[in-house]
Amino acid sequence: MESIYDLLKKKGYSRRDFLKLSAALTAALSLSPEMVPKVAHALETKPKPVVIWLEYQDCAGCSESFIRSTNILPTEVLLDVIDLEYHETLMAPAGEFAEASKEEAMKKYKGQYILVVEGSIPTGNPGYCTVAGKTALDQLKEAAEGAAAIMAVGSCASWSGIPGANPNPTGAVSVQEALPDKQVINVPGCPPIGDVIVAVIAEYLILGKIPKLDEMGRPISYYGQTIHDRCYRRPFYNSGQFAKSFDDEGAKNGHCLYKMGCKGPVTRNACSTIRWNGGLSFPIQSGHPCFGCAEPDFWDRGHIYTPLSVVSSGIGGKEIGTAIAVGAAAGAAVKWITNIGKKGGA
Amino acid sequence: MDLAFLDFVRGPLLKFALIVFFFGIAYRVVRVIMWGVPKNRAKPKGNPAVSALKTPFLKPFREITFKDVISKRAIQYIGGFTFHITFLLLVFFIPQHSFLWTEVLGIKLPYFSSTISNILAYGALLSVLALWLNRFTSPVLRLLTGANEHIANFLITLTILSGIVATQWVGGGTYITALGIHMLFADLLIIYIPFSRLAHFIDYFFSTGFYGRSIGILGVRE
Repeated sequence: MESIYDLLKKKGYSRRDFLKLSAALTAALSLSPEMVPKVAHALETKPKPVVIWLEYQDCAGCSESFIRSTNILPTEVLLDVIDLEYHETLMAPAGEFAEASKEEAMKKYKGQYILVVEGSIPTGNPGYCTVAGKTALDQLKEAAEGAAAIMAVGSCASWSGIPGANPNPTGAVSVQEALPDKQVINVPGCPPIGDVIVAVIAEYLILGKIPKLDEMGRPISYYGQTIHDRCYRRPFYNSGQFAKSFDDEGAKNGHCLYKMGCKGPVTRNACSTIRWNGGLSFPIQSGHPCFGCAEPDFWDRGHIYTPLSVVSSGIGGKEIGTAIAVGAAAGAAVKWITNIGKKGGA
Repeated sequence: MDLAFLDFVRGPLLKFALIVFFFGIAYRVVRVIMWGVPKNRAKPKGNPAVSALKTPFLKPFREITFKDVISKRAIQYIGGFTFHITFLLLVFFIPQHSFLWTEVLGIKLPYFSSTISNILAYGALLSVLALWLNRFTSPVLRLLTGANEHIANFLITLTILSGIVATQWVGGGTYITALGIHMLFADLLIIYIPFSRLAHFIDYFFSTGFYGRSIGILGVRE
């Protein structure tokens, strides 16, 4: 089987380009510079990783993000350097041929392939996402059986996401919930950064093991810090300069979006460092507050445009007025009862 | 999990705490007002109403002499003033708190930069620790101190300390945990205030006003 270096050579890339790619990958994987030769050696000698990509309850946004990965590997090479054996949206075959292709890949690369899952798994009704008589859960379990590593890509696969939001009509569960006995690498986001998806796959290829994960199964390299930690608007936060609306002077001057509801302080993702579209921008840079799409239950959490420090469910004059009125009435009632007691005693 | 905890402490628990707080304060105020004032048929020698209104604001500054402050009650005076001023400013005028009060009270409050907020936070932390320690070392205060004071100081100290830890000392995911702990202690403190001597932020005006009225009746010069 061809290595990534062989493929790059075929595509007309020079040895220098290849070494540049190795250095970029080493940096992206948060490895020390001494690891560059090891990374280059792995890319030269190891066969390209086989990927089987399953989609369940999703919008294909994660696939869109994946094929637009630009920082780590150029887009035109991406689909060549990763041996994408099965992907319902991107593959040419359809229907029975597609299923046959998946079966074949699973047999041929048993114990070697990386299983990528996009979307949440419906468990509420066996009819949902059933293909050729197999339920989504059965398909997933079958594919997971022979996988070398399992990645849940996107917030739907990682936490059940929008399909799992209240009232969760399809009984959506995350990949980890569907496969409780397996180690799942969660790469959340709606969608996750394409470069991060590729980097996690590349790390597995290069180091031969899954990346270091936090307690929720997220690679620490990309989800170890909050967006707020590395946000370029952080100095405005520190100096107490906040945009108060989307078109005020503060917004025009790039002030912090905390008051507009930014959830960057409580959202772990690499948006503010790796950014999107080749490092061009990310939501906060484009003027919109982060709404925490990489964290569990982000849709149910709601309150996208209210500051993080206010009561999330809201509190206003009505509730406070009621509390004061009831408190005052209770005070008066206790006093009245006490007086009756005193008079009675006398 | 840490985010779910934060969602709880800044959502349902904070709402519950604020409702309990306003309920408790209203209850307490009504009880104090309904105690009324004793009847006094003698003609006042001074002006009780004026005295009642101005005493709460003059009392903290009365009888302050350099000798008294430095030699006898330095920690009480300097620590007390520092704590009350810094804590009050912290509660209302750091950005995150200002946004909360704007929602709760419907009044837009100004806010400080993080540098000023940090100075206030460290000032409040050090002064409350000094005041707490003073309660152990001063023989008189030791006799006057009970569980109520220790619980109040414990909650205040941990609320301020966890706020500093969250905003200054930790980063990454640890921030979320630290923020959750800060909010938890803040919620507990808000709930505790109406049922403790911390309610002196309201009671103080009644007690010193009553005292002012009494000396106004007697015609005592201030």
